[in-house]
Amino acid sequence: MRNIWRSRSLLLGAAVTLAMVATALVSLVWTPYPPTAIDIVHRLALPSARHLLGTDPLGRDVLSMIMSGSQSSLSVALIAVVVGAGLGIPLGALAAARPGWLDDAVMRACDLAFAFPALLTAVMITALAGPGGSRAMLAIGIFNIPVFARITRGSARGVWSRDFVLAARTAGRGDAAITVSHVLPNIAAVLLVQLTIQFALAIVADAGLSYVGLGTQPPQPSWGRMLNDAQTFIWRAPFLAVFPGLAITLAVLGLNLLGDGLQDLLDPRLRRAR
Amino acid sequence: MLEVDDLTVTLPMGGQLVPVLSGVSFGLPRGESVGLVGESGSGKSMTALAIMGLLPEGARVSGRVAFDGRDLLAASEAELCAIRGRRIGMVFQEPMTALNPLLSIGAQVAEPLRLHLRLARPDAQARARRLLERVGLPPARISPDLYPHQLSGGQRQRVVIAMALACGPDLLIADEPTTALDVTVQAQVLDLLAELAWETGMALLLITHDLGVVSETVGKVLVMYAGRVVEQGPTAEMFARMSHPYTRALLAASPRETGGRPVAIPGQVPDPLHRPSGCAFAPRCARAQADCVASVPPLRGAGAHRAACLHPHVPP
Repeated sequence: MRNIWRSRSLLLGAAVTLAMVATALVSLVWTPYPPTAIDIVHRLALPSARHLLGTDPLGRDVLSMIMSGSQSSLSVALIAVVVGAGLGIPLGALAAARPGWLDDAVMRACDLAFAFPALLTAVMITALAGPGGSRAMLAIGIFNIPVFARITRGSARGVWSRDFVLAARTAGRGDAAITVSHVLPNIAAVLLVQLTIQFALAIVADAGLSYVGLGTQPPQPSWGRMLNDAQTFIWRAPFLAVFPGLAITLAVLGLNLLGDGLQDLLDPRLRRAR
Repeated sequence: MLEVDDLTVTLPMGGQLVPVLSGVSFGLPRGESVGLVGESGSGKSMTALAIMGLLPEGARVSGRVAFDGRDLLAASEAELCAIRGRRIGMVFQEPMTALNPLLSIGAQVAEPLRLHLRLARPDAQARARRLLERVGLPPARISPDLYPHQLSGGQRQRVVIAMALACGPDLLIADEPTTALDVTVQAQVLDLLAELAWETGMALLLITHDLGVVSETVGKVLVMYAGRVVEQGPTAEMFARMSHPYTRALLAASPRETGGRPVAIPGQVPDPLHRPSGCAFAPRCARAQADCVASVPPLRGAGAHRAACLHPHVPP
């Protein structure tokens, strides 16, 4: 029963995530209206057949803006996670393979990074370096490095203490080869799940940055900015806040379900039980 | 071929350096076999790790471990990597954890072949199939594509043996190879090891806590206690005239030799931080006298059979 439910969460998560990716891709070539087209006559229109999700105070089509906004959300989150994982995983694997001063140095540096609230420091970095999508990617990416370094190091230490690693060493394998052929495959499931979680968090962080005006800059629409713009009209047109909010929630929910499903799919112990 | 001379290992423990091996010496010529016997904590596995150069972080080693005339203690990590798996193979106690759960058994047996002999994938796979067949896992019945969790304990241990043998090593170290296995399977695995050693002419270092195991498998026995060799000699000679009270106690504790109820040895191996002065076995020994605690008794004996005891059952 449990397995069926779990595989359902995998399917549902994959479907939502794929739908989001597909939306971003489609919006590159087609949206119902141009997302920046202003139509003052039909401003603050309620959702209708003409404008499925209504229009904003400038008469822009909300559906088109949400579709187009998924581009910046996805690209910022993707690059941020690639930066974080691309630097964090090798650092963590190195720390696990070389206990001693190197391990200590890497882990203390992570502790230092964790001492600062991530989003606040991302705000600081973008405030110093200037706002913009690429700065947001880097700011969020930098705070993903210690997350990946720590989880990689922690789970890799567990693998290093297993007998088959000792067996590989008695077979004459070096540390680098053992890391690649024995350690990383055994922690791949953990890392993949962490990737989906961090991806979801990066979407929220990006929305937060663009909400305060430090993320993707107008006229390119972003979900965070739409939420901010909706604030003034929250009583006259609540749907303006509801729809971008729903988009963020769905994206995060889909990624978390996907991660949950992947975890069970990739765990060899659970796979055996099936 | 393997010469261990006055091997001494100290480990940092509780803020001080404590000896875990003291003056262990033995020789293992090509084609012969030696058994290291003792309880947990006697230093058997530490001896194996010292030979392989895989001691824990912070360990200090002195003495000499010569393999084919080369001093392994002075060898660099790269040199050791070239020897491990290629010229020295190792079999572990727990076949469940000694295999990577994510790789098929065929791939794991092929790995050392690809690493050391630089065989192409198809050649390595073909050779892995022959190796698996040799250790009693014919590919027709046990597919090399199976994963470790699909095999029984005995079958897994055969895979570990095939991995250790892959490159035709000159020395095989088997660390408690049968401890985790069913009694019925233990004899099969021991027979396989003895057979393979005889067939390939490699030297076999068998580590076990069961004196009964070595009696049928190896030519020479070293009994270890608290990091020292307390009795050693050719197997037949030693079993005929067991001198050290600890050796006798070990045999009485072995279920297969007594036939009846095994007799436990009272007390425990002293931990390296609190070893008594003199003979380390004295506190558990029924024959201990005042002089036993005065100084560590040296290994004494007329011929190859020697014991480190001041009051032996029979003089060696």
